[in-house]
Amino acid sequence: MDLFLQTLVSGLLKGGLYAVIGIGMTLIMGVMGIINLAHGQMMMVSMYITYSLFAYAGVDPYVSLLVSVPAIFTLGLFIQQRLLNPLLRAETILPENQVLMTVGVGMVLTEIMRFIFTSDYKSVRTSYSSSTFFVGNISFSVPLTIDFLIAILMTAALFLFLIKTDLGRSVRATAQDKEAAVLMGVDSERITYITFGIGSALVAAAGTLLIPVFYLYPDIGGPFTRKAFVICILGGLGSAVGAIFGGVTLGLAEAFGATYAGMEFEDIIGLVIFLLVLLFLPGGFKRITKV
Amino acid sequence: MRKTVATLSFAFALALMASSAAYAADPIKIGVVLPLTGTEANFGEIEKLSFEMALEEINAKGGVKGSPINVIFEDDSSKPDVGRSAIEKLIRQDGVALVGGGYSSSVTAAMAGVAVNNAFPLVINTGSADNITEPWTYTVSGQMAAKKKKAMSEETDAAKKEALKKEADELAAKAEQEAATIMPRYAIFRINPPASEYASGIESLLTDVIKPKTAALLHENSAFGTSSAADVEKRLTKLGVKILIKESYDKASIDFKPVLSKVKEANPDIVYMVSYVNDAALLMNQSMELRLNPKMFIGGGAGFTMPEFQKNAGKASEKVVSATLWHQTLKYPGAKEYYDKFLKKYNRDTEYHGAEAYAAMYVIADALKRAKSLSKEDIAKALSETDMMTVFGPVKFATYGKKANQNKGEAYVVQWIKGEQEIVWPKKYATTDVVFPVDWIKERQ
Amino acid sequence: MTVNRGIVAQIAVLAALAVIPLVVHNDYYLHLLILALMWVVIGSAWNLLAGYTGQVSFGDAAFFGTGAYTAGLLVIHWGWSAWWGLFFGGIMAVVIAFPFGWICFRLRGAYFALATLALNEVLRHVATIWESFTQGMVGIMIMQSYISKLPYYYIALALAALSIIIIRLVMRSRLGYYFLSIREDQDAAESLGVNTHFYKMLSLVIAAWLTGVAGALYMNYMGFIDPHVVFSLHDISIMAILVGIVGGVGTTYGPAVGAFIMVLVQEMFRTAGFGYIKAAAKFTDVQFLISASEQLTKGHALGFGILVVLVIRYMPNGVVGDWGKLMIALRLQKTGRAK
Repeated sequence: MDLFLQTLVSGLLKGGLYAVIGIGMTLIMGVMGIINLAHGQMMMVSMYITYSLFAYAGVDPYVSLLVSVPAIFTLGLFIQQRLLNPLLRAETILPENQVLMTVGVGMVLTEIMRFIFTSDYKSVRTSYSSSTFFVGNISFSVPLTIDFLIAILMTAALFLFLIKTDLGRSVRATAQDKEAAVLMGVDSERITYITFGIGSALVAAAGTLLIPVFYLYPDIGGPFTRKAFVICILGGLGSAVGAIFGGVTLGLAEAFGATYAGMEFEDIIGLVIFLLVLLFLPGGFKRITKV
Repeated sequence: MRKTVATLSFAFALALMASSAAYAADPIKIGVVLPLTGTEANFGEIEKLSFEMALEEINAKGGVKGSPINVIFEDDSSKPDVGRSAIEKLIRQDGVALVGGGYSSSVTAAMAGVAVNNAFPLVINTGSADNITEPWTYTVSGQMAAKKKKAMSEETDAAKKEALKKEADELAAKAEQEAATIMPRYAIFRINPPASEYASGIESLLTDVIKPKTAALLHENSAFGTSSAADVEKRLTKLGVKILIKESYDKASIDFKPVLSKVKEANPDIVYMVSYVNDAALLMNQSMELRLNPKMFIGGGAGFTMPEFQKNAGKASEKVVSATLWHQTLKYPGAKEYYDKFLKKYNRDTEYHGAEAYAAMYVIADALKRAKSLSKEDIAKALSETDMMTVFGPVKFATYGKKANQNKGEAYVVQWIKGEQEIVWPKKYATTDVVFPVDWIKERQ
Repeated sequence: MTVNRGIVAQIAVLAALAVIPLVVHNDYYLHLLILALMWVVIGSAWNLLAGYTGQVSFGDAAFFGTGAYTAGLLVIHWGWSAWWGLFFGGIMAVVIAFPFGWICFRLRGAYFALATLALNEVLRHVATIWESFTQGMVGIMIMQSYISKLPYYYIALALAALSIIIIRLVMRSRLGYYFLSIREDQDAAESLGVNTHFYKMLSLVIAAWLTGVAGALYMNYMGFIDPHVVFSLHDISIMAILVGIVGGVGTTYGPAVGAFIMVLVQEMFRTAGFGYIKAAAKFTDVQFLISASEQLTKGHALGFGILVVLVIRYMPNGVVGDWGKLMIALRLQKTGRAK
């Protein structure tokens, strides 16, 4: 029973973090209709910012959220405005040029970080990095639990933004029907880069939250990009609620897979669920939740 | 745009000019292939710096036979296919006298194929998968024989087993013949002991001190991880230790808790892990968080001896033991000096990978010195006669068992004590006694 | 008349490529050319499916890896020659592609792309985990059957030519029109009575077959594979797309041009101009060149990445597709204004 509960807790805590990564990607997917294959790399840059602040100025990772999130938001704005939007206007046969551009951006970000920080493994060891508390026999990692709470807070804030503010409504309108939104007077281009900014900011937050319990090197982005799109498809493109379900589902699936099938099956289980959802529940959990 | 084109064409013209011109002085060129970018770059950098340090010393003393050595470093990007391109370039384009390097097992294996095909001398300093220095690897029958033998050992039906054995024997005989045709082209030399010998030091520690009855085995999914784990499993089974759990994982997993919870539930006497540095630190941190309390945590070299492991795992690294191949306190001439000089020069720690690279450079220089000419045959001959003392210990390429041109290194056991690595086993090299038993929960309060 | 000229030009290029190894004796350059020719096959195959049929694949490595593993497994399990892989590798890739396409072609656009990506990842994990059959991460090593590069070069050249001929034939036939109609508007094509599922399957099968054959060639030539090499998302699947996009999507020769650009440029960055800049630096003893070559090798992947970004940003239709634009930009053609 302990084993089951411990697995459940591990899966849930990890799922919370996955959800934040996924929400960022799903927003971008919903509004722009593209897969952002530089998503994990944005997270990696944010982790390096957090690391630098910690290593050179002693700033606590949670405080450095105030720096990393705006910084990556700006980076996201820039990428969308300068690199992705111009491609919309170019006449090309395939719309995938933008996706390819994100691949290129991801490579450049990785290599810039390698150029600056070399490939050395970095980590941020705070006093609370490995602290735990126990409920019964079940161990809860303190930083991961805090991360989970912050993730919930951030998601709530995002919902308020999407539902209550004009800008948020425009984002949702663009995601639902771009042409109609433009006809209604939404400046869709502005919306695209704001969305890209917010999506990047969210994953930046996830990176900063993750670094106290994880480690860092320039190639760390790739695996997270892959996880992010799995989460998005599980949740349904453009659905923030879906991404939460998607994130938690993936977290739980990986954890239970690792415990009951073997750790080598961790990734394959996520992928199989992904393919099944893609085929039998196209549109993901959005179909069920309708949000 | 136009300006860029102009600049580019200028650079190109210069390049063409240079290519047609001959060199004024002729240093002896050798090539070294290391992972300088990609996931293994961390190790590659330590090795490159060590190569450079040795190279400077050798050249300062006048090089080899009056001419300096020029090392061309190639980056294999931690990818076998790039490693292969790199060695092809070194042999064909740069015309190097020999090739050194080789960090990860898969890249090294890919490079070894090229070396054998070209009968080119290759001095490997790290790539440790066993079969790289076993000539049968380079024959089809040899590989098939190995598979058949494995199938045979897993077969329970006696009649089938007999049939498989017959097939395996036939193939092995054929492989021997084929290997004989490979041997004239086989000029691969390895300084590093093979992966299966990493744990040889641990074995006596287990029988003499820890005396475990059960074990859990966690290893990463890589050529090194898989072959080390297979070997450890064999050793443990031979000692009568029951393997309760054997699991592999992909690099860059965030969360080992599910699998560690499983380990906790099984409650083995020892937890043996083969991991690179990041995963090693995460495994120890999360074991601490879950309050695992086996008799001993044991690392299988690689990540567990890296300075970064201690930095990342902090107090969770305390009292963990690991297999290793070298330590600066060993009484080899120059070992301590190498360590101190490296620390002073680059302001960072080094460990066994660095020492291997440093020694490799000296072995190469020594062979070049003794070689009658710089032809590959003469260099290979000189290498095979190598018998010298290095910071990594005595180096002598021997043929034993299935291995050919393999340096028999020794394996040691280190323990992290108060943030420092100390040699604790074998007894005659130990700088301090092994701390055992350890109460891991109390230790980490 | 124009057709004739086109054919003459093609034959001239082919003849030039056929003569190269007789003139260039440097095996290192031949090695790069062999890789480039292999990428011509993969890029052309990707282009047929994505550029002409509009079904973008992010998982070409699934077929490539299947082909390579077929060749490798034939050797280590049955002792056959890896050259049989050229025959069976393509077939096995089709065996994987067929059910996959059958099920997943109901997905469109990004969803289909993601499904191919997932297929890629699933196969990579299977090859890693199924150690008793594939040898897992230990990989498969075989010895090359020829030490000389020439046989490989001509086989690669033949395959590259074959793939371009196949694509030309297909696109000139009725099939080509169906493919294009699916790319332009699948619903319209369907309403006109085109069996879109069938034609998409056909396109996928041809592409998978070519990619699988290229994979088998890779096993024969490189002599070493492991799951991370041949099922690599970044180095095979994405590279295939880059080859297509940089060369020119939906053009016959685009992927061929893209393949040469990508392979040669990548290696040029990695070795700082094939080692020439360094040599030039040593020769002229200009400090600037020495440090430039050092920085270039150190940042080779960065330079390559920046190049990719620039090409996509300024030549979204690739070198072949935007050839006119490129000429104008370089002021080699006087029409129009430089950008």
